[in-house]
Amino acid sequence: MPARTDLKKILVIGSGPIVIGQACEFDYSGTQAVTALKEEGYNVILVNPNPATVMTSPGIADAIYVEPLKAEYVEAIIKKERPDAILSTMGGQTALNLTLDLDNKGILEKYNVEIIGAGIESINKAEDRGEFKKVVEKVGLDSPYSIVATSFKEALVLQKEIGFPLVIRPSFTLGGMGGNIAYSIEELERIMTRAIAESPVGSALVEESLIGWKEYEMEVMRDKNDNAIIVCSIENIDPMGVHTGDSITIAPAQTLSDKEYQKMRTGSIDILREVGVDCGGSNVQFATKPDSDRMIVIEMNPRVSRSSALASKATGFPIAKCSAKLAVGFTLDEVINEITGVTASCFEPALDYCAVKVPRFEMEKFPTAYSALGTQMKSVGESLAIGRTALEAVNKAIRAAEFGYDGITEMEGLSDAEIQTILRSAHPRRIFAIYTVLKQQGPEAVTKLNKVTGYDRWFLYMMCQLLELENRIEKEELTPDLLEDAKKAGLSDDRIAALSKKSKQDIEDTRIKNNIVPSYHFVDTCAGEFTAKTPFFYSTYGEINEGGQLSDNSVMILASGPNRIGQGLEFDTCCTMSTLSYKAKGRKTIIVNSNPETVSTDFKISDRLYMEPLTPEYVKSIMDKEGVKDIVVQLGGQTPLNMAEELEAYGANILGTSVKGIFDTEDRGLFAELVTKLGLRQPKNRMAGNFADVKKCAKEIGYPVLLRPSFVIGGRSMFIAYSDEQLEEFTQKGIEISEKKPVLVDQFLENAFEYDLDAVSDGKNVYVGGIMQHIEAAGIHSGDSACVFPPYESNPKIEQEMIDAAVKIAREIQVKGFLNIQFAAKDDVLYIIEVNPRASRTVPFLSKISSINLVDAAVSVWQGTDLKTQGLVGDAGVAIGKCTCGWAVKEAVFSFDRFDMIDPVLGPEMKSTGEAIGTGDTFGEAFSKAQASVGSTLPTSGTVFISVNDKDKDAILPIAKKLADLGFSIAATKGTANFLYKNGLLAEVIQKLHQGHPHAVDYLASGKISLLINTPMGSDSEVADGYIRTEAVKLKVPYTTTISAAIAAVEGIDHLVNNKIEVRPLPGMNVEISL
Amino acid sequence: MLNVCYLVLKDGTVLKGKSFGATAPLSKELVLGTINPAAGEVVFNTGMTGYHEILTDPSYTGQLVLMTYPHLGNYGCSNDWSEIGPEDNSDRSGVKLCGFITRSYYDGPIGPGRETLGSFLKSNGKFGISDLDTRALTLSLRDNGSQNAVVISPENSSSLTDSEIKQTLNYLEAFPSMAGRNLVEEVGTGKIVTENPDGIHHVVLYDCGVKANIVREFVKRDCKVTIVPSITSASDILSLEPDFVMLSNGPGDPAMLKNQIDTVKALIGKVQLTGICLGHQILSLALGAKTFKMKFGHHGCNHPVRDEFTKKVFVTSQNHGFAVDRDTLPSDVDVWLVNANDNSVEGIINKKLNIQSCQFHPEAAPGPEDSEWIFDSFIKGIK
Repeated sequence: MPARTDLKKILVIGSGPIVIGQACEFDYSGTQAVTALKEEGYNVILVNPNPATVMTSPGIADAIYVEPLKAEYVEAIIKKERPDAILSTMGGQTALNLTLDLDNKGILEKYNVEIIGAGIESINKAEDRGEFKKVVEKVGLDSPYSIVATSFKEALVLQKEIGFPLVIRPSFTLGGMGGNIAYSIEELERIMTRAIAESPVGSALVEESLIGWKEYEMEVMRDKNDNAIIVCSIENIDPMGVHTGDSITIAPAQTLSDKEYQKMRTGSIDILREVGVDCGGSNVQFATKPDSDRMIVIEMNPRVSRSSALASKATGFPIAKCSAKLAVGFTLDEVINEITGVTASCFEPALDYCAVKVPRFEMEKFPTAYSALGTQMKSVGESLAIGRTALEAVNKAIRAAEFGYDGITEMEGLSDAEIQTILRSAHPRRIFAIYTVLKQQGPEAVTKLNKVTGYDRWFLYMMCQLLELENRIEKEELTPDLLEDAKKAGLSDDRIAALSKKSKQDIEDTRIKNNIVPSYHFVDTCAGEFTAKTPFFYSTYGEINEGGQLSDNSVMILASGPNRIGQGLEFDTCCTMSTLSYKAKGRKTIIVNSNPETVSTDFKISDRLYMEPLTPEYVKSIMDKEGVKDIVVQLGGQTPLNMAEELEAYGANILGTSVKGIFDTEDRGLFAELVTKLGLRQPKNRMAGNFADVKKCAKEIGYPVLLRPSFVIGGRSMFIAYSDEQLEEFTQKGIEISEKKPVLVDQFLENAFEYDLDAVSDGKNVYVGGIMQHIEAAGIHSGDSACVFPPYESNPKIEQEMIDAAVKIAREIQVKGFLNIQFAAKDDVLYIIEVNPRASRTVPFLSKISSINLVDAAVSVWQGTDLKTQGLVGDAGVAIGKCTCGWAVKEAVFSFDRFDMIDPVLGPEMKSTGEAIGTGDTFGEAFSKAQASVGSTLPTSGTVFISVNDKDKDAILPIAKKLADLGFSIAATKGTANFLYKNGLLAEVIQKLHQGHPHAVDYLASGKISLLINTPMGSDSEVADGYIRTEAVKLKVPYTTTISAAIAAVEGIDHLVNNKIEVRPLPGMNVEISL
Repeated sequence: MLNVCYLVLKDGTVLKGKSFGATAPLSKELVLGTINPAAGEVVFNTGMTGYHEILTDPSYTGQLVLMTYPHLGNYGCSNDWSEIGPEDNSDRSGVKLCGFITRSYYDGPIGPGRETLGSFLKSNGKFGISDLDTRALTLSLRDNGSQNAVVISPENSSSLTDSEIKQTLNYLEAFPSMAGRNLVEEVGTGKIVTENPDGIHHVVLYDCGVKANIVREFVKRDCKVTIVPSITSASDILSLEPDFVMLSNGPGDPAMLKNQIDTVKALIGKVQLTGICLGHQILSLALGAKTFKMKFGHHGCNHPVRDEFTKKVFVTSQNHGFAVDRDTLPSDVDVWLVNANDNSVEGIINKKLNIQSCQFHPEAAPGPEDSEWIFDSFIKGIK
C-alpha cells in the first residue's frame, strides 16, 4: 500500500534540550523521521528548541521552528502552518506528553490535525500504569503485584500485604524520574511524597520489587496490517534494580532458551496489538525470575526510545525511519532493508556478533549522587561496541565509554569492605568490583557473586575466562597464539603490555610483525546470509577481513564518543555536518564513533561507519585498513584532539591547524608567551607543579583566584578560591598535579562579562561567525551560562578588540579551521581567558542563527578553498557574522532533578547536560522563550522570593522595583527585606531554614513562590542557602542564581506581560544540510 | 581445555578448532564409501536461540549445522525441548544431526535440571567444533553453496599432516552429495503410534521424520493423531479413515522419494492433504511440479512469508535446502505463500483437491510462533 495521499503537511515534534533520560537518540530518530517523510514527498514542519541538533539544521525539514515545546507555542505554529498531521512518537516522552496536552486542550481538534504514530488511546494505555496492567492481564501475561496510589497511606496498604522492598514510580514521567526503592516506612513516605509531586497526574505506582531478577527488552515494530517483528532483544547484564539506561546491556539476549525467548517475543507483539500500536516501533520490558518460569511484563514505550536507537545501531535496522514510513501508511513488507537492499523490512535481524552498551556516569561531577543506582536513570551517555564474542564486546564497550577503565579490569586501592559495598549497592562500578573479587578468590567465587549481585552465571563465567586468560598472559611467555587470543578477547595493547610487563610499543610491534591485526566485519542485519550493501563495520581478530578499501582519497572524521557533560550532541552535529559537506564536495568519508545515540552513527551519513572505541589503537588500525591519511580532529571535542599527536606520529595528516599549533594553545606557558608576543592581555596567571606552589601563586596574584588542572574539557575540577581556607579545600579534592600536569592559577575577574567568539580561519583570512555574550557573570562555566547573540550590552570598541585579537591569534598559530576564544571584559579592559583551536559547543547554534554554515566553511578551507574564494570575507580578509533572527538566546539545561541533594549552584565546573534556544525581535522575547524551553517558564504574576548576598544588594534594587511595577509581590529573607525596605520597597519576610517554621522551604512547597532569585557567588556563607535552591529544583520553581540572570529574567517577564506569543521559522543557511 | 580438532571441507578448506561433544574420528577411521557420523553437508542456520530444538530435529539428518550466532550452549539442554518425534526403540531413534560448528562454545555452569550441550552431544555420539571463523565459512557457503565436510581429530600433537588431509579429502570426494540422498527411511517411527485417541478430528501423520511439536500442535487442537511410517501404503492410510492426511517434514532430497511420491499420488483427490516442509515438497512433486536444490537453503528463524490472499506477512522458522520450482506447478495449483525476501514458493493450495501445504515450520520450535494459525487452516480444510 503506498503512502497516504490525504496528508500533505506533517508536524514533527522533537524532544527539546538534552537531559538525563532524553538525549541525542531523539536527534537521531527525529532526523531519520523527517528525512523519511520528505523522501515520500511530504511537507515536513519541525519544532524543537534544541539548537545543538542535526534535525534543526536548515535544509533538514521544510520549515524549522526552535520554539518552546509548550502547547501555547505549538498552537501558534499549528495556526500558522496548518499541518494535516502531527507525528508524536519521535521526540521521546516530551513529545508524547505535549501531544496529550494539545489533545486535551482541544487544539488538535480545532485545527483538524490528525495524530499519527501513536494515538491518544494507545499512549494512555501504555503510559497509565493502571491501564497498562489491565493490558498485560488481558493478553495473559503477569505483572508485579502493585497498586496505583495517590498518597503515602494508600501505599501502606500494599506494604502490609507484601512487605519491603517496594518500588515507587510516578505516572507519566520520562526515564523513570522520581522512581525509587523503599526498604523502610520512612523511605516509603519520603519517596511517595516526591513521586506524587513529580507526576503530572499526581499518582504513583507502588509495586513488588523485582530486584535481582533478569531484565530484558524487546524492540518491536507493528504495522496497520498486524504484521509485527522483533528488531532486537536486549539483555541487561545488570539485573533488575538498576534503570535499564544505567545498566550494561547486551544484544541479543544470551541466557534465554528458545521457549522463554518465544514467550517473550509473542507476548511483546500481543501487547502492541492490545495497546493499539499499529504504525511504528515500541519497546517492551520484561523481567524473569532466575531459574524459574515466572516472567513479568514491566512496561512499554509506545514510541521510539533510547533503546530503539541502540537496537538500530546494534542490528543495522533503522527503527525510526521505518516507524515514520509506517506512520504514513506503509506496511513492513513494503519498506526495503537498506543494508541488504534486497530483503524486506518485515524480517527479524539475525546477529552474528554481540553488541554491548556501557553507560557513562559523571561520578566526578556529582560524587554523592552515585553511591548506588536505582530505578531513576543517572547516566549521561553511553558507548556501544560490537565484538564476535560477548567478552570482546564488553571489553571494547567499557574502553569506548572513556571513563578510565580499559575493559574489565580490577579496581585498585580499595579495601575489601569498600569492594563489598560496591558489590551490594548496585554501584556504577560493580562489574569492576566483581572482577576484583574473581581476581582475588578465583572462579570459586562465582556462586557467591551470583547471589550478591544477581549477575547471571553466564556473564560471571565469561569473566572467569578473562581471568584465566589474563593469568596466562601474566605468567606465560607471550606467544603469537596467546597474543591473538588476548586480542580476540578484546584486550587492548595497553592492557596486554601491563599484564605481560612489556611496553605498549612492544606489543604493537609484535602484533604487526606476526600479522595479528584487526579483521573487519559488516554489520549486515542477516548474519552473512545476504550481501551487505551499506558499509557499517566493527573489528575483531583472526577472522575474514571484509569490505576492502573505500577509496584512495578518503577522509576520516573522528567523532566525540559517549555523551558526557561538556562533550555531547553539539560535537556530533559538527561531525555530521562536516561529513555531509565533504560528501557534497565529492570526497569519500569515514566516521569513527562509539556513541550509538547519535546521528553520525547512522550508517547513511558517511560512506563508511566504524563503530569502534575512540582510542589511538583502533584509529590507527582503521587508517591501515582504509589507507587513509587525512583525519579531522577539530570537530569531536577533546577526545580526537587527545589522539592527534599519536596519530600524526603514525603518519596521519591532521587536517587544518597543525598539532603543534593546537598544543601551543593548550600549553599555558606557551600560550602566555603567545599572548605577550601579540600584545594581548590575560588575567594574571601562574602555573604550579605542586600544592605548595599553588598557595604561593595565589598569594602573588591575590584572591579571588581561579584554579584549573590542564588538559581537561568542561572545566572538570575547576575551582574559585576566595581565601586560604577555600584553597585548602581545593588541594583536598584529589586532583592530579605534577610538573607535567600542572595546575593553573589565574586571577579571577569578579563581575566581569564574558564573551565567546567562534571563527573559521584559513591561516590568513578570518571569518568571525559571531560574538556571544554570557548572561551570567564570569566564574560560571561558559557551557552553563546563558548567552546571547548579538551581545546585548555591546561596547563597539571591545567588540572590535575581540575581532582584532582573533585575527592576530589565527594568523600567529596558523589556524586552519575552527577557533574559539573566550574573553572577559572588566571595566572596559579586555582579557583573553581561553583559546580553543577546535569547533566549540556553540558552532551549531551560531551557524543556525547567523545563516552561515561554519562547518562547511571549515571543510572548504581543509579542501583548499580560502575564505575569500568562499565569499565569506572581502578584501579586508576579516568579516563578522550577524544574527539573522533578531535576538537569539542559548540557555543551559541541567538535570539536577535526577540527583537527590545536589545544590544547583553554578560555578567554573560545567554541570549542564544540554541547551535550548530562544529567538525573538527583542532580547526579552528571546530570553523568555529560552526559559520556557528549558522548563522554567517565567511567571507573569505571583510572588518573587529574593535572597541575595551583600555585594549584590545594590544591584537587586532596580530588579525588585521593576518586578513590583510588573505586579509581582516581593518576599525576601530578613537581610534582603531590610535593605529593600530602607530603599522604599516593602517585602514580606521569609525565615531561613534554621529560623523555624514557616521557612523558605515551606513557602516553596506551598506553591506560593513563582520565581526565586538567590545569589550565592563569591561568599562562602551563602553556600548555606543551598537547600533553598535544591528545593526549588525539586519543585520546579524557576530560579536564578546571578544578578545578571535576574536582570534578563525581568526583561523576559516584561515581554511576556506585554506581548502575545509569536512564532517564526528559522531562516535558511548559506550551505544547507541535506541527507 | 578442549581438544584440538579440524573441520575439513570437500573444497580443501581445513579449519582448526576445538572439540566438544563426542571425540571426532581420526582420518584413518573414515572408510571410503561409508557414512561416518562425523561427516555430512554443512549448512548454516541464522537462528539466535533454539540449538537444542535444531539438534533434535530429524530434518537435520546428515547435516553439520553451522550456527551463525557466535555463542552456543549458553543455557544448556533439556529433554523437555526435544523435537524427536514419537519413535519405537529401533536403530532409527535418537539425534540425527551430525554436529554443530560454532564460533564460541559455552562450557560454564547452567541452570538446575539442565545438561550441558557438550554432554548432551557426547551421550548422543554427536560432534561439536568451536573457535573457528564461522563468519568466513558462512560467506563461503553463501557464495559457493553448501558442501560436505567432516570433523576429525589429528593423530599426533595438534596439527594435521598432509597425508591425513589427503586421506580425508579422498573420503569426502566419495561421500554422497545431499542432492540425490534419500534419508527418509533412516528417520521417523517404525510402527503406527496413536496420540490423543479421543480427539475430535482425525489426522493421519505420514512420518518422514516428524518434529514432536507438529504432533503437539495437533493434539493441542484436539486432534487424534495416527502416526504412520513413511512406507505405509495409500490404501492402508485410507483404511484408517482420516479426516485428513498430514505429510511431515523430514531430511534429504525430496525428488529421490519415489515410493512416497507415488503413495501421495494415490491419495490425491481421495482425502484432504496437508504438508509441512518435506511434506510440502512431496505433495508438489506428486502434483507434477519439480523441486530443486537451493544454493544454501533457508535455515533460521527470521524469514518473512507473505500470504498472497490476505497480504499479511509473518516471520517464520525455516529449515530447507530444496524448494519447489514455481514455474513447474500445474495450473490448477495456486501459490498461497511466498517468501518476502526471495519470492520462493512457501506454500501451495489446490482448492478443488483440498490440498494445502507450507514450506516453513508453523510449529516453530525453534522460532517464532506467528504462523501457528496454519494448523487451524489445515484442520479446517477447504470447505
